[in-house]
Amino acid sequence: MTSYHDDEDHVVRRLDVSLWRRMLEHSRPYRKQLAGLCLAGMTIAFCDVSLPRITGFVIDDAIATGGNNLSFYGAQYGAAVLLLSSLVYLLIVLAGSAVTGVAYDLRRKAFARLQELSFAFYDQRPVGWLMARLTSDCDRISAVLPWTLLDAIWGGFLVSGITLMMLWMNWKLALVVLSIVPPLSIATVIYQRKLIRTQRLARKTNSKITAGFNEGIAGVRTTKAFVREEENLREFQVLTAEMCGYSVRSAIYAAIYLPVIMTFGATGVGLALWRGGLISGLGFPIGDLVAFMQYAAIFHIPIQEMAERFTGLQSAQASAERLQALLDTAPTIVDSDEVRCGVLLQRRWPRPDLASDGKAHGIREIRFENVDFAYQGSSRILCDFNLTIHAGESIALVGETGSGKSTVARLVCRFYEPTGGRILLDGVDYRERSLEWLQSNLGIVLQEPHLFSGTIRENIRYGRLQASDAEIESVAQQVGAAAFISQLPKGYDTEVGESGNRLSTGQKQFVSLARALLADPQILVLDEATSSLDTETERRIQSGVETLLRGRISIIIAHRLSTIRSADRIVVISRGRIVEEGSHRDLLALGGQYATLYSLQFRREAESVAVQTASEPEQFQVRNTRA
Amino acid sequence: MTSKYRLIWQLMEGERLRYSAAILSLVIASCFLYLVPLVPTVVLDGVIAVNPATSGLTTRVMEMAGGRDFLRSNLWLAVLATVAFTAIAGIFTYLRGRLAGIASESIARRVREKLYDQLQHLPCSFYDRSQTGDLVQRCTSDVETLRMFLIDQVVEIGRAALMLLIPLPLMFAVDARMAGISLILIPPITAFSIVFFNRVRSRFEAVDQAEGRMSSTLQENLTGIRVVRAFARQKYEIEKFDSRNAEHRNLHYALYRLLAAFWSASDLMCITQIAIVVCSGGWWLATGSLAIGSFMFFLMVVNMFLWPVRMMGRILTELGKATVAIGRIHDILGHPRESKPAEESQTPLDESVQGEIVFRDVTFSHRAGEAAIANASFRVPAGQTLALLGSSGSGKSTIVNLLLRFYDPENGAIEIDGVDIGRMDRKDVRRQISVVMQEPFLFSKTLRENIVLGHAAAPHNEVTEATSAACIHETIVEFEKGYETLVGERGITLSGGQRQRVALARALLKQPPILVLDDALSAVDTETEIMILDALRQRRGRHTTIVIAHRLSTLMDADEVLVLDRGRIVQRGSHETLRNEQGMYRRIMSIQNDLEEQLRQDLSSVAGA
Repeated sequence: MTSYHDDEDHVVRRLDVSLWRRMLEHSRPYRKQLAGLCLAGMTIAFCDVSLPRITGFVIDDAIATGGNNLSFYGAQYGAAVLLLSSLVYLLIVLAGSAVTGVAYDLRRKAFARLQELSFAFYDQRPVGWLMARLTSDCDRISAVLPWTLLDAIWGGFLVSGITLMMLWMNWKLALVVLSIVPPLSIATVIYQRKLIRTQRLARKTNSKITAGFNEGIAGVRTTKAFVREEENLREFQVLTAEMCGYSVRSAIYAAIYLPVIMTFGATGVGLALWRGGLISGLGFPIGDLVAFMQYAAIFHIPIQEMAERFTGLQSAQASAERLQALLDTAPTIVDSDEVRCGVLLQRRWPRPDLASDGKAHGIREIRFENVDFAYQGSSRILCDFNLTIHAGESIALVGETGSGKSTVARLVCRFYEPTGGRILLDGVDYRERSLEWLQSNLGIVLQEPHLFSGTIRENIRYGRLQASDAEIESVAQQVGAAAFISQLPKGYDTEVGESGNRLSTGQKQFVSLARALLADPQILVLDEATSSLDTETERRIQSGVETLLRGRISIIIAHRLSTIRSADRIVVISRGRIVEEGSHRDLLALGGQYATLYSLQFRREAESVAVQTASEPEQFQVRNTRA
Repeated sequence: MTSKYRLIWQLMEGERLRYSAAILSLVIASCFLYLVPLVPTVVLDGVIAVNPATSGLTTRVMEMAGGRDFLRSNLWLAVLATVAFTAIAGIFTYLRGRLAGIASESIARRVREKLYDQLQHLPCSFYDRSQTGDLVQRCTSDVETLRMFLIDQVVEIGRAALMLLIPLPLMFAVDARMAGISLILIPPITAFSIVFFNRVRSRFEAVDQAEGRMSSTLQENLTGIRVVRAFARQKYEIEKFDSRNAEHRNLHYALYRLLAAFWSASDLMCITQIAIVVCSGGWWLATGSLAIGSFMFFLMVVNMFLWPVRMMGRILTELGKATVAIGRIHDILGHPRESKPAEESQTPLDESVQGEIVFRDVTFSHRAGEAAIANASFRVPAGQTLALLGSSGSGKSTIVNLLLRFYDPENGAIEIDGVDIGRMDRKDVRRQISVVMQEPFLFSKTLRENIVLGHAAAPHNEVTEATSAACIHETIVEFEKGYETLVGERGITLSGGQRQRVALARALLKQPPILVLDDALSAVDTETEIMILDALRQRRGRHTTIVIAHRLSTLMDADEVLVLDRGRIVQRGSHETLRNEQGMYRRIMSIQNDLEEQLRQDLSSVAGA
């Protein structure tokens, strides 16, 4: 995982032209806006060059003719003013359209890609890292492209326009004034290079400071308990000192650069005044001299802007690389060409008795055939695993943490695919079926239920989007969720909050059961919670679960005694192999691993149930102690 | 409101002189900057003009500089003057940047450190009411806003005002009519800018909110990706994200259009202002009532002050943001810290604390009217073990929190070795106690650093002794980097049981007089638990121990057991006495025995079959 942190800091030395060309590809739909932007940039540069010239004409006219043509030049000036301000409007709107449009497109593409990528991809990347790709990276890339393009065009035309104009007016004077360009450019390049380096260091330190605050707050009780306040502060001060150092350094760079640039600009103006003053009156009109001085005064602005944009491009390059890499990642679990063909055929000539991929809809049997599995870069989790589950049967997977029982469930869901062997649905390798079909026939209830923000109704409807309100209320009734929902002031329209955190864990569990029942899946995977809810809630959830399991292929990662005992078959997994298999009674009779697990591991549950129960009102106690 | 400004003033302490110097540099730099346009004015009007002016500012300056003829033959002096004035202005600009930079970065640094220090010393009740995300936000983005305010806006506002005020006398000295004409659009431009940015503030916020909605949809999708896949809802999710994404794009684009209108209108006004100067200057130039140099002077000056004026509205908006940020920082810094007893009433602890704990009639409630613990009295002699038994919410953890002085009791007193801990420094109390929580917090440091947290100088053999007792040594050694393995996001992820064992090792290494195990082995598997309990049994007598559990097996060794129910001690005594007493302990035991019996029956019935 380390690599995903380090690449944030990696240093970009060269501009990767092919990468940026690919980024430009993403802005192809906005090529009209970009073309307009270039045109606007050119025209603005033209106006910027002409205005000093008009001023010069006004002066010469005033001196020579007493202002006869003043209204003519005034009109020119007025036209330029109107043109400029409407161009400014146009270019901001065009750039805005391209910036927001490209950001939108990049996000849409990246999000769609994320929906396809396999879990192996998610395992290696923290959510925060993925979030940053779709938020800040997209922002940076989309903002850098149009503005850089505009400034390159505008700056390029302005610089060459001014140069040509000066050369045309008086080439000797022009050369004198232009002598400031090389030192100006060198100073700018040095400054930008230093700046980009310190800024990168500052950013890196800044993220450490954020992490420091995070840890300081999350671990405050530990800090207090171990009286670590002083040491922690001392460690934190190292970071703040570092940060302060970098920030002061970039402030000082800016403080040096600005006056240097100003002085170069002033030197240009001074040189124009001196050499121009010497020849003024000797065929060099004073209006031209004024125009020259104005050119000299603004010459550094486009150079500065272009340098800044170039730096911006360099620092956005890391973002572009990461995003392009995300877009280029191919999902490892996808429908094969034949399956896709079947889906298309079924869509074109639908046969209602068949599934969406043109094969049989019902699942009568799931069979693991010599399945091997290893997570990327880790040792083997499942080893020559064989198991057959029939329709209507519930299987409890039992074993220690890391034994591989969760992996079995993930393979059934095709979140991962076997690295060896096959998983067969009614004799057909499930890789020959459509992923979408399998997963829409799947119900999963997780240990920590995940809800989406929105109302309870919306969350249940997630199971089947076309379901009516009556159907929603009916499934809620069936799993026993209706009781708590009806007690809420807004009932089914209660907002559950972000990730459902306005509901208790038990309430979330009920909603997720209702959601799964509404989907009416053929296969149900249940990852049972170990967390100790209060006994009464647990009992009610248990009955909801039983409703849900009825008549399906159910695979339960089991922790509770009652679930395990009520399963049709118990599969004991150890180190990726099935060590024991059979009914509760058979396995106890065997006196093997299951019996040990049962008597040791499950004794704990009994014990904590006892403490909880003892403090509850008497009437519940009797029921719970019965088998 | 005033308290916020007082806070800024306080934070500026030690940097005030530097700030004043920065402002002084700014004034000097601006003065010199406005001298630059005077050079061409003098040159054009006085030196190279065919009919030089004979009175007025330019003539006076020219006379001071050595007279017309001297200057005429030494025109290079104009370059020198231009460059020199700019360079002097440059030096002071540099000083301004440097001083303001150092001052504001130092203040930002101090604010960060103050916040960090403050956060470590705020009472636990503060954290019960706050969310980590929000606090981190205040410490990072709000500090950043404050920093930008200090380094940019304070100076920019000054600059805008100075740029406008300083040239006024010069302008009127050069030509009063032109001065008036040059300023004619300044009030409307300023007003427009201020009104505009005030109006669009809500639009900026709307974009921010839309972005927030978009990223929370994204986050929910990513954290719930299993649910999405399980219901094959990819298409639905893509549509959902798409609508948020599009909403953000539309609002953002609408903002761009508004800004486009603003900048073009403001450009229009600014260039019109320049055009007015050029045209009326041209007119007066033609009628001979204005010299070419003065004309040039106004052209340059107008360009210099227009930009800061246009930015005024923007800066003022930022200022509004800064005040909000400062308020949010103030919420943290202004919150009272954990109280400390006055120096003279403080009772220092003996060097060798024995570890006797006494609770006298202690009452505490998190919320008014709901006592988390009521009238609790008990005594644990030094070296003995007390067990607390009860369901969740019965008040077990409250006892631990009170002992650690995370909270202070409303009534009653807690004593260690006969000294009221309310009269001790909290840190002194905590130094006597090691605690292992059910969900222990590990820092993102190496395993060793995490373990030596309470005893930094511990030699390696003591570390391994502690880790062996906690049954984690073997696991650590098996890691590639052993004790130097990093914990957390950048390193390995430990399982709940491993975390608990590391925390136990950390607590044992500290060798405190008092050891608290708050359901500390709940995630450790049964066999390891037995080994750890064995190791702890061998250390009996070394610490006064408080054990919290909801399982009887962990409590058997205790010298005394307190049974808690809804904040009250309902039973107390040794395991032996309690098992013979009518009450909750017996009930718990009988339920457990029933379950055991059931288990035995299960096993035997099958075996018999």
